[in-house]
Amino acid sequence: MSILIQPFLANSFLLRALIAGMLVSISCGVVGTFIVLRGLAFIGDALAHGVLPGIAVAILLGVPGIVGAAVSAVVMIGGISFITNKSRLSSDTAIGLLFVGMLALGVVIVSRSTTFSGDLVRILFGEILGINTQSIILQAVATVVIITITIVGARPFLLLCFSPEQAQVSGFSARFYHNLMLAMIALAVIISFQTVGTMLVFGMLLAPAGAAALLAKRMKTMMIYASLIGMVSVYSGLLISYYFNLAAGSAIVLVAVVIFFAVMLIKNLQAASLRKGALSHD
Amino acid sequence: MRNCFKTFITILLISAFLGLSACQPLAASTNTGKKTIVVTYSILGSIVKELVGDQANVIVSMPNGQDPHEWEPSVRDIETLTHADLIVQNGLGLEGGMEKALAQAQAAGVKFFTASDYITIRTVGAGEGIPSGDPDQSIGAQDPHLWTDPVAMKQIVDALAQTMKSELGLDVSANATTLDSQLDTLNQDIINEVATLPTGERKLVTGHESLGYFAQRYGFKLVGAIIPSLNTQAEASAEDMSALAKLIKDNQVKAIFTELGTPANVSQSIGTETGVKVIEITTHALPANGDYFDFMHNLAQTIVDGLK
Amino acid sequence: MTEALTIHAKGLSIGYKEETVVSDINFDLAEGQSLALIGTNGSGKSTLLKTLVGLLPILQGELKVLGNTPVQSARQVAYLSQFHASSFILPLCAVDVVRMGRYAEHGLMGKLTSADDDLIHKSMQRMGILKLADKPLRDLSGGQQQRVYIAQALARNAEILVLDEPTSGLDAGAREIYQQAVADELARGACVVVATHDIQEAMDCSLTMLLARKVIAIGRGAEVITPAALLETFGITINLAQQPLGVTVVERDHCCDHPDER
Repeated sequence: MSILIQPFLANSFLLRALIAGMLVSISCGVVGTFIVLRGLAFIGDALAHGVLPGIAVAILLGVPGIVGAAVSAVVMIGGISFITNKSRLSSDTAIGLLFVGMLALGVVIVSRSTTFSGDLVRILFGEILGINTQSIILQAVATVVIITITIVGARPFLLLCFSPEQAQVSGFSARFYHNLMLAMIALAVIISFQTVGTMLVFGMLLAPAGAAALLAKRMKTMMIYASLIGMVSVYSGLLISYYFNLAAGSAIVLVAVVIFFAVMLIKNLQAASLRKGALSHD
Repeated sequence: MRNCFKTFITILLISAFLGLSACQPLAASTNTGKKTIVVTYSILGSIVKELVGDQANVIVSMPNGQDPHEWEPSVRDIETLTHADLIVQNGLGLEGGMEKALAQAQAAGVKFFTASDYITIRTVGAGEGIPSGDPDQSIGAQDPHLWTDPVAMKQIVDALAQTMKSELGLDVSANATTLDSQLDTLNQDIINEVATLPTGERKLVTGHESLGYFAQRYGFKLVGAIIPSLNTQAEASAEDMSALAKLIKDNQVKAIFTELGTPANVSQSIGTETGVKVIEITTHALPANGDYFDFMHNLAQTIVDGLK
Repeated sequence: MTEALTIHAKGLSIGYKEETVVSDINFDLAEGQSLALIGTNGSGKSTLLKTLVGLLPILQGELKVLGNTPVQSARQVAYLSQFHASSFILPLCAVDVVRMGRYAEHGLMGKLTSADDDLIHKSMQRMGILKLADKPLRDLSGGQQQRVYIAQALARNAEILVLDEPTSGLDAGAREIYQQAVADELARGACVVVATHDIQEAMDCSLTMLLARKVIAIGRGAEVITPAALLETFGITINLAQQPLGVTVVERDHCCDHPDER
């Protein structure tokens, strides 16, 4: 039993990684639920990668990466909104354009500076083992903000997931709450990329929530399950990286994805055996 | 919804509590007996091992042959660092990939010895290499490659012996004296070796700006670098390449020296275009026997022979 | 006189930013009255319904809902749309869906009281789905889901019900339940505007409007639903004499002409 706890007790940096991971799990679990239910996976992915140029510029300027990521996110959401409103292009196309544009911009910026490639790896894959107390505080604040907005806006969000038209007709501005949802996704990405990197943060948004979607009967439960699955992934991932000397961030996301497929498999087997049971009663 | 809220707040409060308690510095190594000294890279590590002998455990973070600018530690490596009694690091940003890990050790209260604090730091001078708008290569940028100068290493040895005494209570003065005289001998050997090379041929083009201290000590001119930056993480640009080729031709350099991390195709194409010899040189790794002195002898030999 | 009218439309043109779908619509609806819209998909039925609830702007003319603009009155109008989010993934039970009908009145944080629970319970009872209350939406059949959505509209306890093809997917028994529910709504003074393919249902309404990207006819069902009018509306011939139990016209020619009409 102690081999499961010992590494965290003996190493404060690992314990901080665990705490940061727990907070990220909650943020991503809540926000990921919206992403899965509203089919926002594409824009979620776009935001996750679109923050790259912002982070790159921030590092060049000596400003915290988080600030750059926030600016990038605003530019992206604004750009998508602009294209969808001012042209006949669908939001799908708009998202794709911004996604590719921002990513390319990020790479160009990074290649212009000659001192970058190590930093780039760290941006893409995260540095969960380098988390300090300041990061944790920021993540805690952001998590509380996300939870608060979700609780206060629970009704319009639920309506939005069910039908944007019903939300509108019930007196809640569909556009406003949609944009609020996007802002929350951006916030989750911005505070989470330090732990697992921009490449993989999307995995933390999608895999736990995806598994939770298969298990939960209510939205609140789905968010709780998603958070718990995320937390289990973080815990296991850190332990695995410790004992098997593997990259921490990637181990975490791998566990999350494996859990998703395990849940899917179990659900399918359950359904199959139910059908079989029904047939055999003839 | 109320219950939900309460649960989350509880989780957060517990996390905050844990987080705060995680801030306290860890006690030093728990096993009684020898102290543990962790040195970041192998070359400095071999000197520390010679100095300390049996009196402490010396662990080198990076495996020999890894690029010190790029190497990143695993979870276990970070654990070792945060539990060390003393960390000996190069300083001046050499250990690029270890930044966060070293910060964690700092937060855990581990004592540090930074080698570059005890030498005369060399800065990039005018006319060296190619101006490329890279902050690492701008005039005045600090060069971390201090191990190529035996005299600088001597200063480090002396300072380190002091630190061992004051911070760890270890008396290594005997070993220090031996090392000092060995380094003096090494210095003289290299001076003699270099004397066999006509002054006019003492021009260096390397993979990246890694031989600054050697050049300074032994009177070489730094003509340019294939990757004009103080670390290997940068990349070669077309503009810089043609400027370098021109510099080589103008200075009539006989050979260019490639190192760990130099892109092979780039060096080959420079060699073909300018007609100079392309010679591989080891600047960041010890030979198989792990000996610093052999390392320096090989280095000097390769350079002198290559330029003759 | 317009103050007493629940819905007043005069010279109304409806459509989207770039195009007008139907122009010059005129009708008045008072408390307890119902209006049926008949036409093919793409004929403007859904467009009109959406305009009534404020989802689409008024292009021209006058439209007053409960004395105000449609947007201002939206919260007092219940809307049942034709299409719904993919229910196979939504983690919602039937009762959750019906409960959402009470949000319009209470806004973001207003507490739901026992009076609301009562309404929710009654709505499900009227649609015969009480026993399905705690079942996940994805476990229900299409017809059962439709009844849940209708119950949600009923739970709104609104002054106007705007329903877009409410009987699609309902079997005969469920259709009767629905019709009884509508009758009860009308009896308590609400207005009902329904787009339907069910000619019999249209006959039972106070007013019927036939649409084919323009108003073919509007008036009492029996008067305007003639074979000639139907031919113009649907482009096919229907023999009305031969359906004692009512005929449902299923017409798929012009399905989803306008990309926004979904």
